[in-house]
Amino acid sequence: MKRMLILLLIAFLAMGTVFATGSKEVAKEDGPVTLRLSWWGGDSRHTPTLAAMDAYMAKNPNVKLEGEYGGWDGYYQKLVTQIAGGTAADIIQIDQPWLAELSSKGDVFTVIDDSMVDLSQFDAAFLKNYCSYDGKLMGLPTGTNVNTFVVDTKMLADFGIDPNTKWTWENIISEGKKINEQDPSSYFSGATPDNLRAWLEIYIAQLAGAVVDDNKQVAFTEAQGTEAFTYFKRWFDEGIIAPFRQTSLFYQKFQENPDWINGKMAAARIFVSSMEKDFAGRPNFETRQFPVMDGAVNTGILMRPSQIFVVNNNSKNKDEAIKLLAYLFTDAEAIEKLGLARGIPSTAIGRSVLAEKGMISEMVEKATNEGIAQAGDPQSVYQMNSEVIQVMQDVIDEFGFGRLTPEEASAKLIKNLEATLASL
Amino acid sequence: MLKRSYKNYTYIGYLYILPWIIGFLLLQLVPLVNSLWYSFTQFQLLGDPKFLGLANYKKIFTADATFLQSLKVTFYYVLIAVPLKIGFALLVAIILNQKIKGINLFRTLYYIPSILGGSVAISVLWKYLFMNQGVVNNIIGVIGIPAIDWLGSPELALGTISLVTVWQFGSSMLLFLAGLKQIPVSLYEAARIDGAGRMRIFFQITIPALSPIVLFNLIMQMINAFQDFTGAFVITQGGPLKSTYLYGLMLYDQGFKFFKMGYASALSWILFAIILFFTSLTFRSSESWVHYGDSI
Repeated sequence: MKRMLILLLIAFLAMGTVFATGSKEVAKEDGPVTLRLSWWGGDSRHTPTLAAMDAYMAKNPNVKLEGEYGGWDGYYQKLVTQIAGGTAADIIQIDQPWLAELSSKGDVFTVIDDSMVDLSQFDAAFLKNYCSYDGKLMGLPTGTNVNTFVVDTKMLADFGIDPNTKWTWENIISEGKKINEQDPSSYFSGATPDNLRAWLEIYIAQLAGAVVDDNKQVAFTEAQGTEAFTYFKRWFDEGIIAPFRQTSLFYQKFQENPDWINGKMAAARIFVSSMEKDFAGRPNFETRQFPVMDGAVNTGILMRPSQIFVVNNNSKNKDEAIKLLAYLFTDAEAIEKLGLARGIPSTAIGRSVLAEKGMISEMVEKATNEGIAQAGDPQSVYQMNSEVIQVMQDVIDEFGFGRLTPEEASAKLIKNLEATLASL
Repeated sequence: MLKRSYKNYTYIGYLYILPWIIGFLLLQLVPLVNSLWYSFTQFQLLGDPKFLGLANYKKIFTADATFLQSLKVTFYYVLIAVPLKIGFALLVAIILNQKIKGINLFRTLYYIPSILGGSVAISVLWKYLFMNQGVVNNIIGVIGIPAIDWLGSPELALGTISLVTVWQFGSSMLLFLAGLKQIPVSLYEAARIDGAGRMRIFFQITIPALSPIVLFNLIMQMINAFQDFTGAFVITQGGPLKSTYLYGLMLYDQGFKFFKMGYASALSWILFAIILFFTSLTFRSSESWVHYGDSI
């Protein structure tokens, strides 16, 4: 009896290892094909994507498409787990920084070339700088996403600030402080701790070119770091930005801060792709140019694909998956159905179809064009690494809570960055 | 013949629990053994684990400042949340043990927070109650108290988050309530005849009689508190200044934000050792304060 039981237990363990290696089905030629697509987003993205998928299925009856979609929270964690377990979708929407992070760990994505998709539709530099790893094209950019600086023109005017001010680092303080001076509960900037990190990255990029360069080295000096922190200390001292005590709860969600929603903050640095969500029903926003210091090495303004679509290298139907990608990116019907669900399309045909139909909103177009004009060099993969970002954030938190002077913050940032970069 | 049917009988017994055995082996034992192995490796989820020996453990104990910070926060959290929760559960159980009209309704209502559990929704609710512009500050504002940064100040955030746990006292309370019902009325009557006051009765009869349940609640709640994650993750994300960076959150960050599964596995085995230590310590100490059945 006991022996029977032991045998049984061993049998189940053995079954477990069989499951773990994954059962590999062989796809039949020309037979019915099922493709899974995964993406994150809201309803404004889900509905058009599902519509485009339906249209594709109507044209290709042998293909069945299944969408796996939800919100942003936890998407990356789920994706990596699925990739590790061999259960990720055939076509996957990823965020640009993940491309390098995941590709560095193995051949996770299928290499795409001109024979599969008409790549002339895309800006070649954009593909090379943002969608390639090790010189190979790994995915296609859905749209162009840029940083933009938005101001509430009515709120500025109400506090006696010219809404058409051309912003410099200096007049953000000299003009911006008028708001908090008149109303201690209102501020010029809506920045939360993570936004301040982005501002610091911009400032250091203008001073020194980058925070972390392509050679995995800290790119700024301690003096430059001190200069940057000294500048942002004035943001706190002069009431440009709300104390972290009030904003840290809205880490990565500044648009949920009631003070932002209720119009007590006038300006923000945001990505165009989330512009409508960030405006939170406030009607008077306009986009402006970012401040750029004289002799800036790099504007530090980010431009990157809104998202990237990749084909899972583990997919059993890679050819069909790439065919679908080509349809979504270059077919007029698909472009129209998808609209602005992923920002202004990065293909020439995409932009012309939507422009013809009058589907590109003026503000999004203006913000995108201005952003492209002001965009700086792409950030290095090391600067976008999640551990590096955490190191920067931890120092900025300590600085923002007044636990570090600008000098201490700069020294600590460099020391911690060096330690982390060495371990990557 | 008899022997044979007996054999069949046990065989069938194992068949009945087979689903559990399969589940245990595949979903618990395999991951458990795997994670022990991973804790000695560098494993980034994608690709194969690389054997490192004790390097992960060495780094945790010698070169990881966040580990110490997170351990400190977690101990504070356990020290605040567990006694408060058990004390509160006992208090409510005693109140709900009174013979009042409609007491069953109250019992149900007070149990509801625990049915909702440590869910994300409750944590979001907590965030909106305690944020600067939240309900709590509005209420204290009415009586003239200035707004307090419940969740924004590094000094208060952990305490505020602990309240979520304390609020979910229902299951402990239910056990206390059942325990209270078990205490023989004759004990109370005898004490009263001997002239014991209410406090004396509470400390000399009620508490000793409930002590096995206190022990059970203490151990269960302690284990839960050491592993807690949801509140800190949803409400403060470990901030401000890592003041709510619970051990579970650090584990999650290492595993699922930085994808250092080997390191995260090592962290979880350390947590296991810590929990084991404190659980056995509690068991040891129980000999001197837990009274079973006839030993009161």
